[in-house]
Amino acid sequence: MHIKGGNLRTEMMLAKLKESKFKIITLFFSLLLAAFILVQLICVVTHTTPQALITSIASPEIGFAIRLSLITSVISTILCIVISVPAAYALARYNFRGRSLLNTLLDVPLALPPLVAGVGLLILFSTTSFGKGLAEAGIVFVYTPLGIIIAQFFVNVPFMFRILRSTFQGINPRYEYVAQTLGCSESQAFWRVTLPMSKNGLLAGSIITWSKAIGEFGAALMVAGATRMKTETLPISLYLNMTSGHLNLAIAAATILIIISLASLFVFERYGGFARVF
Amino acid sequence: MIRVENISKNLGEFFLRDVTLEVNDGEYFMILGPTGAGKTILLETIAGIYPPDKGKVFLDGRDITNIPPKSRNINVVYQDYMLFPHLTVAQNIGFGLRSKKIPKEEVERKINESADLLGVSHLLHRYPGTLSGGEQQRIAIARAMVMEPKALLLDEPLSALDTQTAERLRQELSKIHLATKTTMIHVTHSFEEAFLLGDRMAVMDKGGIIQVGEPNEVFRKPGCKFVADFLGVGNLFKGESTIDRDVSYIDIDGVSFVSTTLKSGDVYVSIRPEDILVSKQRIESSARNSFQGRIESIVDEGTIVKLIVNIGIPFVAVITKQSLDDMGLRNGGSVYITFKASTVHVFK
Repeated sequence: MHIKGGNLRTEMMLAKLKESKFKIITLFFSLLLAAFILVQLICVVTHTTPQALITSIASPEIGFAIRLSLITSVISTILCIVISVPAAYALARYNFRGRSLLNTLLDVPLALPPLVAGVGLLILFSTTSFGKGLAEAGIVFVYTPLGIIIAQFFVNVPFMFRILRSTFQGINPRYEYVAQTLGCSESQAFWRVTLPMSKNGLLAGSIITWSKAIGEFGAALMVAGATRMKTETLPISLYLNMTSGHLNLAIAAATILIIISLASLFVFERYGGFARVF
Repeated sequence: MIRVENISKNLGEFFLRDVTLEVNDGEYFMILGPTGAGKTILLETIAGIYPPDKGKVFLDGRDITNIPPKSRNINVVYQDYMLFPHLTVAQNIGFGLRSKKIPKEEVERKINESADLLGVSHLLHRYPGTLSGGEQQRIAIARAMVMEPKALLLDEPLSALDTQTAERLRQELSKIHLATKTTMIHVTHSFEEAFLLGDRMAVMDKGGIIQVGEPNEVFRKPGCKFVADFLGVGNLFKGESTIDRDVSYIDIDGVSFVSTTLKSGDVYVSIRPEDILVSKQRIESSARNSFQGRIESIVDEGTIVKLIVNIGIPFVAVITKQSLDDMGLRNGGSVYITFKASTVHVFK
C-alpha cells in the first residue's frame, strides 16, 4: 500500500511538471540571469582578502576618489534639479508650438553614447569662443573637476527631466487653480502645492541621477581626463588602477561603487516605483 | 453682483460661446447642463483661472477680466475635492489665510469657525487621504468659506458622493447659504439639485446659455425642446403633503395625488410621463390616482406621442402612436389618466 501511495504521488508530481513545463522553462531563464548577476558581484567583492580591501579603501588615493565622486555627483545632481524643475514643469503644463520637438531634443543625451557627449563638451569648452571666454574668466572645464560636473550633468539631466515631467503631468492642475483662488500667485501655487506633492518623484529622480553621476565615466573621461589625484573619481580610479595593475585599489573602488548602486536601487524601488524613466 | 458679458473661450474640447449672465448678490444660482456644455470653463473664467478670448467679467461693477484669481476673492470647490494631500485638514482650511497678513490666533479662530460650520472639527489633525468623500468635500467647502468669498463657485460638488451623503450635504449647502448669504454659483447636471437649491438657474448647452429663470418657471415652461428634453421630466409640481395611514396626500393647486413616499410639508412631486395610463373610460384598478381631463395638445415625437392633458394642472403622458390611433384620441377630447401611488416621486 505504502509503495502504491508513493507511486501515485510521484505520478502526480510528474503530471504537474508536464502541465507547467512552460513555467519551468521561463523560470529557469530568470534564475539563470539572476545567478549571472550575483556571481559577477561576488567575483568582484571576493577577489581580494577583506584585510586588503579595508587597507585599500583607507588609502589616500581611494579616499580622494570617494571625496571627489561625492562632491561632483552632489553638485551635478543639484544642477540637474535646478534646471529640470522649471523645464519639466513647462513641458508638463503648457501647450505650445514645437513642444514635441523640444521634448525629443531634451531626451537626446539619453540615447547618445557618453563618449560622444564627452567629445562634444570637450570641443565646446576648448575650441569655441564661448569656452575660451569662460576659461579666460577663470571657469575652466577642460581637465578639471568642473569638467566632471558638467559631463555628469549633461549625461544625466534627461533622467531627472523625464521623472519630473511625468510627476508634474500626474498632478491635476486644478490643485494649482484652487491655490490661486486661495491667494497664491502662479509661482506661489507651484512652491506651496505642486512641488511638495512631487516629493516622491523628486526623491526618485535625485537618487537615480546621483547614482548615475557617481558611476559616470565616458563623458567625464573625455572632458576632464584621467589624472591621478586630480580628476580621479571612483570609476576613473578603477580604470587607472586596473590598467596600471594595482588590482587591490581597483577592487576597492569597484566595491564602493557596488555598494552605492545597490543602496540607491533600493531607495529608488522603495519611493520611485511609479515614476516612468523610459 | 457678478456679471459675465459676451464671454468666449476656446479650450479645444470645451468652449464658451458668447455667454452673458448676471448673478445677484446673495443669490443661489444654479447652472444646469449636460457633460461638455462648458459649465466648468464658465466657472473657471469667473474665478480667473484663464483669461477669456473675448468678453468681460464684472464683480460689483468693477471690471475684473484681467485681475488674477488671487485678488478676486472668489473661491472654487471642485467635484473631486482637490484637497492638498501633503497638508492636514487644519492646514488645508487655513491655506488661504496664510497669504493674508492675519495674526496667528485669528487664523486659528477662523479655521475652527469654518470647520464648525461644516461639521469637520473632529478631523482637523487628519490628512485628507484617509477621509471619506463626504468629509473631504466638507473640508473643501470649509477651505473656501474661511476666505469669506464674494462668491463661492461649486463645480458639481455632490456628483462624486453617494445618494445619502449628497442629500445631507445638499441640505447643508442650503443652510450655509441661508446663514452666510454668500453668493453661490453651483454647476450640476441634476435637475433635482437645481430645483431644490436654486433661487434662479441657467440651462447651458454647447458652450452657450439657453434659458435663465427661476427653477419653477424653467421646469414649467421650458424655452425650447432642448431644455424640455434635458430636464426630462414632464410632470414636476410643487405642493403640500400630509401623511395619513402610510400614504401621503399631496395637494397641488386643488388636485390631490396619493404617494407612497412619506414626506410632509412643502414638497416637489414628479411623475414620469411613461408611467401614466391613458384611457377613455374610468378604469377600476389598484392604482390610487385617477383623474379626468381634457387633451390640450398632441405632440408627435416619432415612435411615441406626447399628450398634454389638463386635469386642473397640465399633465404630460407618453403613449405609442398605435394606441393613439386605436383609441381615436383628438385634441379637446376627454380622457382619464391613471397612475400608481408608488410612481409619484416626492422630494424636498
